[in-house]
Amino acid sequence: MTKYNIGILLILSLVGCMQSSNKTEKKITASGRQAVLPDKDSMPAESIFHLTDSFQTQENIPFTLSMLKGKPTVVGMIFTHCTYACPRLTADIKNIADSLKGEKEKVNFLLVSFDTKRDTPDRLNKFAEENGLNKNWILLHGSEDAVRTLSVLLNVQFEKDAEGNFSHSNLVSVLDKNGVLQYQKEGLEAEHIVTISTIHKLIQQR
Amino acid sequence: MKYILTILLLTGCFDVSNAQQKKTVSFEKKMLKIPAGNYKPFFVTKSNKPIKVAAFKMDESAVTNTEFLLFVTANPNWRKSKVNRLFADSNYLGDWESDLAIGEKNINIYNSPVVHVSWFAAQAYCKWKNKRLPTVAEWELAGNAAPKNIKYTSLTEYILGWYKKPNLPVLPNIKTTYQNVYGLYDMHGLIWEWTFNFNSFISSGDSRGNTEDELKAFCAAGAINVVDKTDYAGFLRFSYRGSLKGNYCIANLGFRCAKTIE
Repeated sequence: MTKYNIGILLILSLVGCMQSSNKTEKKITASGRQAVLPDKDSMPAESIFHLTDSFQTQENIPFTLSMLKGKPTVVGMIFTHCTYACPRLTADIKNIADSLKGEKEKVNFLLVSFDTKRDTPDRLNKFAEENGLNKNWILLHGSEDAVRTLSVLLNVQFEKDAEGNFSHSNLVSVLDKNGVLQYQKEGLEAEHIVTISTIHKLIQQR
Repeated sequence: MKYILTILLLTGCFDVSNAQQKKTVSFEKKMLKIPAGNYKPFFVTKSNKPIKVAAFKMDESAVTNTEFLLFVTANPNWRKSKVNRLFADSNYLGDWESDLAIGEKNINIYNSPVVHVSWFAAQAYCKWKNKRLPTVAEWELAGNAAPKNIKYTSLTEYILGWYKKPNLPVLPNIKTTYQNVYGLYDMHGLIWEWTFNFNSFISSGDSRGNTEDELKAFCAAGAINVVDKTDYAGFLRFSYRGSLKGNYCIANLGFRCAKTIE
């Protein structure tokens, strides 16, 4: 038995432990938000809250998607070094937020970055400031695995190029209070009338 | 030494079946080193240079039904009756008799690639093995290597020949097609395989490309081109990946795992 093999076993056992310790991490609250532990019985099968990977917010707070529970959520996937599409996608979601007026507070606005290398929580914090995104907005940094899994769940296609930039589809997704995908609209500067009426409907839902 | 290892394994929160499996080393799939290389994306944008792929390890063959049975045995959430539809559609493990039985009538496919598995299931399996799914770039780099034990005129011809054939009533066992120069079995000719970033397909690149719609839909789709227009087999693989969703479970679609070399 070489040292190398023992090392592997150690890593394996650590991985095993990390998985169980992850479960306790979910109790941490983000920005005063009450963490809701995924309860398999009460959560609809189609809820993306079943994705249990941990992300970090722009304030460097651990975050799992189930923390979004209780409010409808508008989601966009972006990267902050993007010069063409992403500022426009962010602007589109901002416009959606503005048109909700007083009801804005009843909705989560979520931006998740493709750029697991460069979009650190600090960088996302700066991006939020520069774009005037207030406390209603959650900007997430995650592992390559977590981000890819979310993109698969949301049907967002993306690809990193040799220069570290991303080609990606531009989708605005709307989740209900339980994390079930209810509406999606593709494209930049798209007509968001249905998006907004869907959000209004979801706010009313218990 | 064995004593220490036992403690390590126990403290490592392994369940019993997992620990047992670690002991039987012969069950472990052989992984082969794929040397570093350059991969030219089938569809490229103006700025897109060939992607450098670092050396990595890849399972020598696709994951079999028997191997997958060990996974669902150790991970109840991935059994047919328990799996969440978000992560696997209703065709999940469609050939299997029940949760923990491939079935005696299916004895011929025990050692065939597991198919009717979703991307999420493939991901979970590889993670369980402390591995991961290969990226498109890795898979294509590995898959484009020349066969070493069959007669063929060109790899494209070989692949297209396979695409043309109707599905066999029983999926053949692993290691029944050819081995390539890296030692990998059945990269083409047996099944299609999941990749980590299968959902990276960006544009059709056809005559409808470069429209305002396309520009609006995709960040860098302004100048999409095809590297090798004669690589019809490659085109089909990319179209196929582009048509998939993460929870799809399809006949002839399986996977093998990869691993980063630390």
